[in-house]
Amino acid sequence: MKKKRMAVILSAVMTAAILIGCGEAGSTRKDAAGSGQTSASSEDAVTIKIFSNLPDRKNGQGLVEQMIIDEYMAANQNVTIEVEALDEEAYKTKFKAYAMDGMPDVVSIWGQPSFLDEVLDAGVLAELQEEDYTDYGFIAGSLDGFKKDGKLYGLPRNTDIMLIYYNQKMFEDNGWTVPATYNELLDLCGKIKDAGIIPVAMDGGDGWPMACFLTDILVKVAGTEYADIVSRAVATGDFTAPEIQEATQILVNSASVGMFQMGYDSQDYGTTMNLFTNGQAAMYCMGSWDCSMALNQDIAPEIRDNIRAFTMPVVEGGKAGANDIAAWNGGGYAVSANSPVKEEAIKFLNFMYQPDKLSKYGWENGVGLSAQDQTAYLTGNETELQKQVMDILKDATSISGTPINDCGPSAFKTSIESEIQGVSNGSTSVEDFLAAIGAACN
Amino acid sequence: MKKNNRNIAKVFMWIVLLIVAVIQLFPLIWLVDFSLGSSNEMFTNGLLIIPEKIRWDNYGKAFVDGNFLHYFRNSVLINTLAVVLVVIISIMAAFACQRMKWKMSGLVSTVLVMGMMIPIHATLLPNYKIYHMLHLTDTIWALLIPYAAFSLPQGMFLMTGFIQSIPMELEEAAVVDGCGIYRIVFQIITPLLRPSIATVAIMTFLNNWNEFMMASTYLSSPKWKTLPFSVLEFTGEYSSNYAVQFAVMALTAAPAVIVYIILNKHITKGVAMGAVKG
Amino acid sequence: MKKLYSNKLVIFSLVLPGVLVFVFGVLSPICLSVYYGFTDSTGMGEAHLIGLRNYMDLFHDRVFGRSLKNSLFLAIGFICIQHPLAILVAAVLDKLQGKAEGFFRCIYFIPNVISVAVIAYLWKFIYNPDFGLLNHVLQAFGYQGQINWLSQENAIWSVLIVLIWHGFGWGMLIYYTGIKNIDPIFYEAASIDGASWWTTFLRVTVPLMKPVIQINVTMAVISALKQMETVYLLTNGGPSNSTQFAANYLYQQAFKAFKYGYGNAIGVVFVIICVLATVGLNRIFREQQDV
Repeated sequence: MKKKRMAVILSAVMTAAILIGCGEAGSTRKDAAGSGQTSASSEDAVTIKIFSNLPDRKNGQGLVEQMIIDEYMAANQNVTIEVEALDEEAYKTKFKAYAMDGMPDVVSIWGQPSFLDEVLDAGVLAELQEEDYTDYGFIAGSLDGFKKDGKLYGLPRNTDIMLIYYNQKMFEDNGWTVPATYNELLDLCGKIKDAGIIPVAMDGGDGWPMACFLTDILVKVAGTEYADIVSRAVATGDFTAPEIQEATQILVNSASVGMFQMGYDSQDYGTTMNLFTNGQAAMYCMGSWDCSMALNQDIAPEIRDNIRAFTMPVVEGGKAGANDIAAWNGGGYAVSANSPVKEEAIKFLNFMYQPDKLSKYGWENGVGLSAQDQTAYLTGNETELQKQVMDILKDATSISGTPINDCGPSAFKTSIESEIQGVSNGSTSVEDFLAAIGAACN
Repeated sequence: MKKNNRNIAKVFMWIVLLIVAVIQLFPLIWLVDFSLGSSNEMFTNGLLIIPEKIRWDNYGKAFVDGNFLHYFRNSVLINTLAVVLVVIISIMAAFACQRMKWKMSGLVSTVLVMGMMIPIHATLLPNYKIYHMLHLTDTIWALLIPYAAFSLPQGMFLMTGFIQSIPMELEEAAVVDGCGIYRIVFQIITPLLRPSIATVAIMTFLNNWNEFMMASTYLSSPKWKTLPFSVLEFTGEYSSNYAVQFAVMALTAAPAVIVYIILNKHITKGVAMGAVKG
Repeated sequence: MKKLYSNKLVIFSLVLPGVLVFVFGVLSPICLSVYYGFTDSTGMGEAHLIGLRNYMDLFHDRVFGRSLKNSLFLAIGFICIQHPLAILVAAVLDKLQGKAEGFFRCIYFIPNVISVAVIAYLWKFIYNPDFGLLNHVLQAFGYQGQINWLSQENAIWSVLIVLIWHGFGWGMLIYYTGIKNIDPIFYEAASIDGASWWTTFLRVTVPLMKPVIQINVTMAVISALKQMETVYLLTNGGPSNSTQFAANYLYQQAFKAFKYGYGNAIGVVFVIICVLATVGLNRIFREQQDV
């Protein structure tokens, strides 16, 4: 039995190697860190340290990142790449610690004020030359979040769309249908709950997914005015705009009628996702980067193959139509300004962003959408989920931009991501919530 | 009648002790049980599972992908060094303050022991700056210094008490024989302190073996990462596979538990001695 | 001998390593903290001195107040739940002779040697309302509902339970040692008077254990104040700061909200509170002894 499993693993590794098109893809992160380079290359040995927010190196985005790293090391024998990877929350905390004093060479970043403003002010990220990337096929506007005073400091990795994933088979078996309005969604949740299943798995322990959910509702309420309303609120510290109040109230009502799993406000990312991927929850609210679930071998095939997604249904009386969606170019990479191997790090960064790397591998591995033009890599073998997401973006009539929690300084982000737990579970009133997050803007 | 009563009392006593024992142990049994199953068996009802197939390969994954040996070695190395440092420094300082004649002895001794009141986490932020300035982040020193510094007060306190109880006559005889201070400290006093050294060593080890915050703040590359920190990293890596997560937790806990069970008598004695005095 | 024992150079060489470690590991970070506490440092770039503003803010900071209340809650929880249980079990264990005694003592202490990282993750699973151990146990006893152990209201209790579970063996062991040190004469006297086990426990054991109890109470208060790692990993202060503690809060403020200066101000106040609590408790207990 053991042998058989070994054979499976081996063949998987080999397939990966062939896919990548190089013979040495079998070397993993740990080998790279431990064994050192023994190459006979005449160039000086270079070590690039990468700090990543993708701890799972065997699935989805993390796998893609690791594939490119392995490929780069194989092609450049003198380069060793060390990866430190932490879960998003832990990543952001440690990134800020690093930002204070010396960062690794290549880092994951988010092109959003809450993350970048202070970092760029302190000048810890290396400037990139925008004209170098004209052939890289970046979607128009996707670089904006990574700029300050017209200078570019990072590159976006994905186009993120807020989605509600659902288990299609479960829906069909129970005669449930995808809701078209928010009230229908609430009704549906009631039915699902009655059937003894969790309606929506929500990672409320981390705060930010719930803030993204709030963003999604607010977009449906305020329509294309979303960005203006939020930036005005952040600038003045006054969050009492009727749209924000209404959206918050909708979130509170939804939570109070049991839309989310019990204890959602204390459960982390992994736990929440596992509720959905183990058939305990009918829906799961997360960004499009989790589309790779459809290819994750740890998930049972009867669930994996039935994952579908829809966007937030329209809110009655809201200004947005079905195709005004919450989406943004958030995550990406940057190079440290003080990196001792800055040249090499930028070279690696550019290698990653060659259109046939991040973008192509990402597509092939079922990771949502990149921030680059991917039409050249359509194979016809995409998962149903990928096709859906592609259509959602294609049909979009407007795109929201940065989610609400990332629109202000990091003190605001810290505050809203903690306070939103209290308002959603009913221990804080909507007014107090809005006042508290307003106070954190000053 | 009286005898009957006593029997009831005895049964009651056993029941209480057993209940407490179950409460203390059951979560760990649960941990090991589920670490041997497959991930989706987590979602079954019932307290324990009989795994459909016992999956030792969960532990294989935890051992290999979790880089267990490497992190274990780091933990052992760092903790041993911290213990050695604390023991030597505290013997020296305690001897100087307790036995030798100088004006500031009382003050220095009090100040060193006072460190016990300072919470270690209050130094997290400033130390981060200091270590960076001295290029110590991501080196073994970033852990050794705080571990030693925050175990020293306790070590110092215990050693002072123990040295106090050693009769002066021994040293007087040694001085007559022409011994220097260093020989007195290391060849005469230290061997006499053996049980106390064990106590200080055990207390220091228990304090630092499981330490997590410092390791996660000051370290970045895998080079010096310790076992507790590796748990955090690994659970992220295997977030969709509960069984493997459980295996890595069980594996991380195992060395300390095994060593404790083997040395249980000595450790209990050491802790009791240290804690009651401290 | 006198000359040898007052050789300044030798003294200096013996004390130096200890003093160095203290200065480098404890004193200088605290001093640096005091400095940064007076600045608006974000941790990066320039910092400006802003006088006492951080401390004024801290005074009005709801979350910091909540952290201190939580510490108080834990301390009371330790003193009212963990310690009575520990003394009782220690006394019962003391009655037991032979192998069983060592066996139980060994088992009770096991959670203590396990890393907080493992403990916190394990309990995250134990508390999970959908597939956690605790709700399964309740089901096994016939309880039909689901309990949300880490909800806004329950979370602080759940944190307390984990800490009691983790630290029980330690407290028990100390009381056990204390009880073992009680002179058997007292028990003989009690049994001649015909006192029951319970009366003996209340009238003889507990009063004689007073010094040990005092030490343990001080330790309980201090460890409640210093609490960080379990909470950091189990709830990270949530939901909505309901399980926030000073150490965790200063970490969050500095490394999440980029308020490094403010974080350091919290650190300074935190140190002061810990020192005051220790000194205060010691003084109270000493006065009691003098009476």
